[in-house]
Amino acid sequence: MKVSLKVNGADYERDVEPRVLLAYFLREDLGLTGTHVGCDTSSCGCCVVLMDGEKAVKSCTMFAVMADGHEITTIEGMKKDGKLHPMQQAFSDQHGLQCGYCTPGMMATAIAFLKHNPDPSEAEIRDALSGNMCRCTGYNNIVKAVQQAAAELSAPAAEPVAAS
Amino acid sequence: MSTTEAPPANGRHSMGQPMKRKEDARFIAGKGRYIDDIVLPNMLYLAIVHSDYPHAKITKIDKDAALKIPGVLAVITADDLAGVGLAWIPTFHGYDKQMVLAVGKVLYQYQEVAAVVATSRAAAADGVEAVVVEYEQLTPVVDPFTAKTDKTLVREDRENKTNHIYHWEVGKRAETDAAIAASDVKINERVYFQRCHPAPLEPCGCVADMNPATGTLTLYMTSQAPHAHRTVVSLVTGIPEDKIHVISPDIGGGFGNKVPVYAGYVCSAVASIVTGHPIKWIETRTENLTTTGFARDYTMDVEIGATKDGKVTALKVTTHADHGAFDAAADPTKYPAGMFGICTGSYDFPVAFTELDAYFTNKAPGGVAYRCSFRVTEASYAIERGMDLLANALGMDPADVRMKNFVRKDQFPYPSPLGFVYDSGDYHTTLQKALDKVGYKELRKEQAEKRARGELMGIGISTFTEVVGAGPSKHFDIMGIKMFDSAEIRIHPTGSGIVRAGTKSQGQGHETTWAQIVAEELGLDPQNLLVEEGDTDTAPYGLGTYASRSTPVAGAALAMAARRVREKARNIAAHVMEAPLDDVEWVDYKFQVKGVPSKTVTMKEIAFAAYTNPGPNEPGLEATYYYDPPNLTFPYGAYIAVVDVDKDTGETKVRRFLAIDDCGTVINPMIVEGQIHGGLTEGFAIAFMQEIAYDAEGNNLQPNFTEYLIPTSLESPHWETDSTCNPSPHHPIGAKGVGESPNVGSPAAFVNAVMDALSPLGIKNIDMPLTRSKVWSAIQEATKA
Amino acid sequence: MNLEWHGHEEVGTSKAQLWAFISDPKSVADCVPDLVEAVVEDATHFDAIVSVGVGPVRGKFKLKIELEPQSDGNRMNMKISGGGLGSTVDLLAGADLTDHGATTSLDWTGTATMRGKIASLAGRVIDAQAQRVITTTFANVKARCASSSA
Repeated sequence: MKVSLKVNGADYERDVEPRVLLAYFLREDLGLTGTHVGCDTSSCGCCVVLMDGEKAVKSCTMFAVMADGHEITTIEGMKKDGKLHPMQQAFSDQHGLQCGYCTPGMMATAIAFLKHNPDPSEAEIRDALSGNMCRCTGYNNIVKAVQQAAAELSAPAAEPVAAS
Repeated sequence: MSTTEAPPANGRHSMGQPMKRKEDARFIAGKGRYIDDIVLPNMLYLAIVHSDYPHAKITKIDKDAALKIPGVLAVITADDLAGVGLAWIPTFHGYDKQMVLAVGKVLYQYQEVAAVVATSRAAAADGVEAVVVEYEQLTPVVDPFTAKTDKTLVREDRENKTNHIYHWEVGKRAETDAAIAASDVKINERVYFQRCHPAPLEPCGCVADMNPATGTLTLYMTSQAPHAHRTVVSLVTGIPEDKIHVISPDIGGGFGNKVPVYAGYVCSAVASIVTGHPIKWIETRTENLTTTGFARDYTMDVEIGATKDGKVTALKVTTHADHGAFDAAADPTKYPAGMFGICTGSYDFPVAFTELDAYFTNKAPGGVAYRCSFRVTEASYAIERGMDLLANALGMDPADVRMKNFVRKDQFPYPSPLGFVYDSGDYHTTLQKALDKVGYKELRKEQAEKRARGELMGIGISTFTEVVGAGPSKHFDIMGIKMFDSAEIRIHPTGSGIVRAGTKSQGQGHETTWAQIVAEELGLDPQNLLVEEGDTDTAPYGLGTYASRSTPVAGAALAMAARRVREKARNIAAHVMEAPLDDVEWVDYKFQVKGVPSKTVTMKEIAFAAYTNPGPNEPGLEATYYYDPPNLTFPYGAYIAVVDVDKDTGETKVRRFLAIDDCGTVINPMIVEGQIHGGLTEGFAIAFMQEIAYDAEGNNLQPNFTEYLIPTSLESPHWETDSTCNPSPHHPIGAKGVGESPNVGSPAAFVNAVMDALSPLGIKNIDMPLTRSKVWSAIQEATKA
Repeated sequence: MNLEWHGHEEVGTSKAQLWAFISDPKSVADCVPDLVEAVVEDATHFDAIVSVGVGPVRGKFKLKIELEPQSDGNRMNMKISGGGLGSTVDLLAGADLTDHGATTSLDWTGTATMRGKIASLAGRVIDAQAQRVITTTFANVKARCASSSA
């Protein structure tokens, strides 16, 4: 089956078996191995990527063909103009990762969440990340990382408001 | 200087600094390299057929349909492995053997029965579905108490026709029994530490690549102990060790799960040798949970005697251990029950005795040190639950009972009645710090008020002592290989360098902390010390990372290797500064001529001189050190959990959790804190959510993450942490290791808190996991009358 | 995995009519929900293929069913064994008939032992699913027996 989609800004057109999951399409057809697979039951969230810039989707629970016509952003596409995305910087600053396996999916979920809720409470952050498992960090520092990223992402937007 | 304050971060070059992690750069960019990211030309895929039943004769394996599937090249069974002498392999410590693929019968549900090799991942999976295995079912044995009767034999292949594997004991039986019998107050309670699973988010896997031209077998594998695996592969296959290259890439969490050797590795290696193609095998989550190393499954009878005023007189712990179908527990050779002798904990027992009997059952094999030193979590749970049961029997506050019985600071080095010599500690100060910080008195007051209103609030304490850092070569080996560890340091001309160790990080941050240790010793920039682990062709020999042994053993080797480098550098410094060797001192991270503070030379300058102007000295600047620890290390902590239990639903809310840890010298406080957060979350999961349970028919009831629950951010409590610092006197930098303390110490704190909440109802014990329904049922039962 | 169920139906036929209905393998087989195929072997035995969908597991079960009429005509026992999808089931069902003239009470019980992948992968939902199958079967007995006698 033919599938055309945009991944990290580049257009792709591929012929894939209908049963190929988006996660494996990204990993094996496009070589984007930053997206991970950690379970067989859509539980762990290691595979989360951004669809159309603002929706977090579990790429192990979607067939590649379902992404036809959509735009996918993986961890490899989060850097902008050679600069880390504030979420990436925050995860490192706050020690929000250890083994790194859950990190790409966790950050994708957090980025999508902040687009819908730029100034969340800790409870809202914990609720938003509840589809992503982490075995190493115990989540304290992940929450702190999301708070740091939220502050940074909302800071430039806040300036013009203050100026007016 | 007081030894109970946190070490100063100031004034040290690298040690004790919350340096951000060097490994993060690749992980946050999606550029980590995990096992499934490795793709080699002409690679084939292997997938495994698993048993449907827990105990059954295999009457037929029909490969025909599978072999007709496009892309399927071969179906491997035990018969094929027998042809190359690999139907069975020795277990971890070599006392038993295990089937690679089922030989004649299956011994547990999901056991590996056949392996399919195919040109793609999907074709291999299709092949697995098409292999038809016919079974004749046998009665399963699913607990050690049934196993003990020997009515059904799990292992007919063994010479001894019994399910009993071994008996182990330590201490003084008669004196202990007599002391308990003569005590004013005694408790005797059976507690069960359920079977659980490390479940790292990355499952196990490998790529086996036999190069037919050179005869070299390269094994990329999820290995916490690459050198040990190389040696085992060589011993088992007869391939010379120089022709085996084990590479452990980035590991997505291990927690003990990635220590043993699994069927998938062996089948992949055999398939690569036979086909000459690289073979990839990646576990599914179900395979991970149902076939790879489980942990615990100890049923422990805890007896404690005490005087009326609460002084302990004796401890006895009697354990039934369920080892599953093979005796594959990961324990050092001379310690079949690991360090279970730490069950006297932080308390000064005049006499103690512990014994353990292990049994075969129709359950998955394992018994790994899941985020703990060998069997230390089980032992800590037994004593910490026991101390609370004793407090209850005495009518005393559990904090007071602990304070009354702690080993005192002046007793260290403390010889325990079960044979360990504790290195250092100040248990009273650490618990007091926890009580003050959590506001213990106020909490007890609040609890009394709530009780008066009929509300269930509980406060649980756990003041555990761990024993880690295996270990001194006199006592500790695995299959004969002594449990030392190693480090190699090479300083380049411009003052940067490469640091290699026999350990293997799985998220612990070795690339950062190892650089900090070496940088501290040499006054170099840790950012320019590259740390490399996991490649057996380049790293010095070491037994790997598990049982909190990396910092106590390899961490010491790194410091000692760095001191060797420094001594060599001192010789070169003498040449460069034209001073007698005896006059050259290491002061403030520089070499200085004695009494001439202006005459100094930096390590960076010496590095350049080592290659450009070494004088009469051997050129170059490198050293290797193999460290054989003189003793184990004994990290400890005081943990306090505060919970509210909803009487009507059985739901427990962990309102607060405070962990005060003492792991000796801290290398990187940010990483230590992260390790504690993670370990507490795993302990929380074990206390409230997780169990690999089997039903009476031997069905594994937790084969995936919809049943085996991993806590998310939503249910995980907010963790509060702090520390005290009593360095290990025998470790070169005083560090004890920390990664496992929180998983060892926390389960008892949680359970003690819930039992404290339920104590007005007369409930003494509920075995983990304390799920809503279990707690609710216990409340119903208790309030029925 | 051991499971137990019980239930009650009040059937609007005479006891003799109900007895005749449940003694006939063909009519009993037709009452099994999700039946794909039934082959009657003799007066007391039939084979059935039933589609099964429990949790993540979907496929077909092949079952051997034996009717064991008790000589007094008050009780019918049924033994079901078989399996599929890497699983086996042994089920014993029994139904007691009580004569109320125009109607007949049918009190049934069932116990089953499940082994294999379904018990493992779908253990949490299997009880409810199996209960649905057995309850529907007896509900169908009530409905069809009444309509066939009408």
